[in-house]
Amino acid sequence: MNPFFMSLLLIVGLAIFGRTMVHKIRLLMALGPANRANHIKARLKNLVVLAMGQKRLVGRKKEWASGLMHALIFWGFCVLLIRSLTLYGEGFVQGFQLPFLGDRYILGYLYIAIKDIMEGIVLLMVVYAFIRRMILKPARLHNTWEAYFVLGMIGVLMISDLLYDGARYYLIMHHNNPAHLHFFNNPQYGSEFLWTPVSVGAGVFLAGLSADVIGYVMICMFWLHIITQLTFLNFLPLGKHFHVITALPNVYLKKLGYPHQKTKLLDLENEVAWEDESLGINHIHQLTWKQGLDLYTCTECGRCKEVCPTYITDKPLNLHDFNDKLKLELLDNADNIIKRAKLSATIKQDDAADQTDKIKTEMVELNSKKELIGDVIAQDTLWACTTCRACEEVCPVTIEHVPRIMAMRQGQTLMAEAYPKELNPSLKGLERNGNPWGIGYDKRADWAEGLDVKLMADDADVDYLLWVGCAGSFDDRSKKVSTSLVKILQKAHIDFAILGVEEKCTGDFARRVGNEMLYQMMAQENIETLNNYGVKKIITACPHCLNTLKHEYPQMGGNYQVMHHAEFIDQLVKEGKITLRKSLEDTLTYHDPCYLGRYNSIYDQPRSILNSISQDGLKELDRHGRESFCCGAGGGRMWMEETIGKRINLERAEEIVAKKATRVAVGCPFCLTMIEDGMKELDKEEEIKTRDIAELVAESLA
Amino acid sequence: MKILTTVKKVVDVELTMRVEDGAIVEDGMQYVINAWDESAVEASVQLKENNGAETTLVSVGGGDNTDMIRRCYAMGIENGIHIEDPALDKADSSIYARVLQMVYEKGDYDLVITGKQAQDTDSGQTGIILAEYLGLPCVSNVVAIEVLDGQHIKVSRSGDAGTEIVEMELPALITVDVSINEPRLPQMRGIMMAKKKKIEVMDLAALGVSADDISAAAPRSEIVEYMASKTRKGGQKFEGEPADITAQVVDLLANEAKVL
Ligand code: SF4
Ligand code: SF4
Repeated sequence: MNPFFMSLLLIVGLAIFGRTMVHKIRLLMALGPANRANHIKARLKNLVVLAMGQKRLVGRKKEWASGLMHALIFWGFCVLLIRSLTLYGEGFVQGFQLPFLGDRYILGYLYIAIKDIMEGIVLLMVVYAFIRRMILKPARLHNTWEAYFVLGMIGVLMISDLLYDGARYYLIMHHNNPAHLHFFNNPQYGSEFLWTPVSVGAGVFLAGLSADVIGYVMICMFWLHIITQLTFLNFLPLGKHFHVITALPNVYLKKLGYPHQKTKLLDLENEVAWEDESLGINHIHQLTWKQGLDLYTCTECGRCKEVCPTYITDKPLNLHDFNDKLKLELLDNADNIIKRAKLSATIKQDDAADQTDKIKTEMVELNSKKELIGDVIAQDTLWACTTCRACEEVCPVTIEHVPRIMAMRQGQTLMAEAYPKELNPSLKGLERNGNPWGIGYDKRADWAEGLDVKLMADDADVDYLLWVGCAGSFDDRSKKVSTSLVKILQKAHIDFAILGVEEKCTGDFARRVGNEMLYQMMAQENIETLNNYGVKKIITACPHCLNTLKHEYPQMGGNYQVMHHAEFIDQLVKEGKITLRKSLEDTLTYHDPCYLGRYNSIYDQPRSILNSISQDGLKELDRHGRESFCCGAGGGRMWMEETIGKRINLERAEEIVAKKATRVAVGCPFCLTMIEDGMKELDKEEEIKTRDIAELVAESLA
Repeated sequence: MKILTTVKKVVDVELTMRVEDGAIVEDGMQYVINAWDESAVEASVQLKENNGAETTLVSVGGGDNTDMIRRCYAMGIENGIHIEDPALDKADSSIYARVLQMVYEKGDYDLVITGKQAQDTDSGQTGIILAEYLGLPCVSNVVAIEVLDGQHIKVSRSGDAGTEIVEMELPALITVDVSINEPRLPQMRGIMMAKKKKIEVMDLAALGVSADDISAAAPRSEIVEYMASKTRKGGQKFEGEPADITAQVVDLLANEAKVL
């Protein structure tokens, strides 16, 4: 068309874009480290399924319509990328063709056909998106001018390209192609216009215009398309639409294996770390680069808050807001963070102490003037999270919220000593007697009296250790679960023992509230005990214990094969070691504990057990499985009052009542307490009995 | 303001105490800071933080108290004195008070804060006897402290008839109730710093008292015997229709308890 103008546009457009991107990338590089370079195959799979396949958008039943809309726009964009290259080429050479996509190949024809249809579809989706935002207004959506602006630009891109082709069609087919425009016309496959019904249809708008006018329209549409595209490209990094660029890398770089970055094992003896305030996240520059990329990528879609138990019950934690505030703080401090990182790199091992001190003082001066917790993120917001992971499970771009929250809590507890003081009695109980109730450690095995349960101290040569946990040992209600589990194990002739008074809290709760010191104390003592007895296989009825023993103790040298009792019982049933009667007449439902489901992907085993004892089969709650709703006790919340908004357990209990269940099964002592309390509050505890899986199984043993 | 706080190490009352041959079974037993004294420590540290004060703690007897004192350091106490002497083995409140008197007189303290009582003996004597020996004004069972000026404090005392508010001139002694505060949990930073701090350990001679003086001030009370408290048997829960329950209860009262 006009090589000079095209070059100018491309140079200016790409130069500005390049500059923005370099700055953004330099900022990420100045943040903390995160290792995400390994396991390329698994990462590519995530990229294909989650990003290209848009699994979390189209795969959620509740949101399939908007999910599909987004997916179609995304897929449309992917297809149109190739088209853009052709158009840039066209700017330089009339009739430019990409290799294998020209008019000599069927592939070229197929491509233009697909592109043509996709453009039509994308345009329809844009219209739907406008209607959704303006008329349907789903609660989770955060309506901003930016969103409309971007939708508008996408619309212009589609319309301009369709009209450009429509104009070409008219000129070529109806005005004898006065300018000798190039078009696909392979004798084998026919004219390109046989393949592009949408563009031809768009051409109808030009019917009746003179060839000259149509020529102008064609040229205008061409440049409008190019200019809009370059503007769009430069607009993306400025706001939430940056995800168009960062979502793919973000998904590719997602944590593999465990669902999110595990809590960092802090070196508490490291004096330099204390001086530098680098234990936990205390300042914005302490985010890892991946956490920075997460912030760039948040699309503000609000899916996370829609499933968040705290947001639903009117607590101040609103995740996309949380992301937004962190992002603003990050960008506000971008230059200082980059300078800081440069300074830090100049400190060398062999530097004189005063030299190092001087640099460090300069670095401190570059810290943000705002307190990360207090000014940027409010205290109440930070401590509201139950670490349930519902948000992470639905986030289409796989943003990890919980590790950030955990690290900030570590900072608050260790460095600022600004954690909720109401936690003190429970923490002190842990310190003194190894359980958050603070009950004398010598009473830990009292529940097992008369049950004929072996102690490891008496016989360590057993197949399994039954890890009872604090609730199972001290809480009257949960002790019944321990007793039931013992009954099952004995019935199946399993050779097991307990640690008795030698068992201590795993430290899960201390860790979730950022008290890494107490966690490490508990973990170290437990690991020593376990390793002394040569324990290899552990069964536990507490998903929190399961999670800590299985995933966190390896960081400190404790490696065991750990199973939740639901897994184990299911295995016993499958192996024929126990037989269950289908005796339960109640309408049975199941509440998935977060640390069993979302953290450990144990969804099927509890269901298989419950289905084999219930006459009518399991009736699922609306929020179940991956999108199960937290009971409110995780993340140390069990030991804090819930004073803001509605109580989370009440919200869940109401859901269960609404399902008309008469029995609700759980697989976690904290869920048991919370849901039973919820039922009491609703005065439904007699009608709707809350039972642990082990209790139900023990009642149904044949 | 210079504050002296007294602390005592006691058995962890959460544990079940067993007595064999007239002595408490040590096996499996653990010792912790007396809860009332822990509140006294917290109160001192708060005064230090809010009003500026120098805080010293003293513990008398009980063997190796290093862990307990370091824990108090980690809470914010600055100096620690531990008095250990074989002559203190049979000490009671009056003897503790004598020893504490010596410690007080060696320093130049404006305020003494003690716990109202100790979880082991529950006698609630040491603080007020000490005040008597020192001739200091004393308010017991304090639930709030307010510093008025360098010379005066105002304290609230929880009494039988309600809260009494008392203004005191310094030097003075107060004994505090646990409800005065929620003692902080020592955090890592404090614990690390506490490790580096010294504890001044003295015997009676170093304090300037001879063991004879102590034995001369013969204890006013004596431990004659330890007995384990009777554990109450758990109650029995009845379930079912009211009529059934009544029948069951009547049956048990008549045939098992034989009271009917
Ligand atoms: S964190 Fe994820 S789910 Fe939440 S608003 Fe951002 S992109 Fe959406
Ligand atoms: S982990 Fe759960 S409570 Fe925390 S922010 Fe996510 S959804 Fe909300």
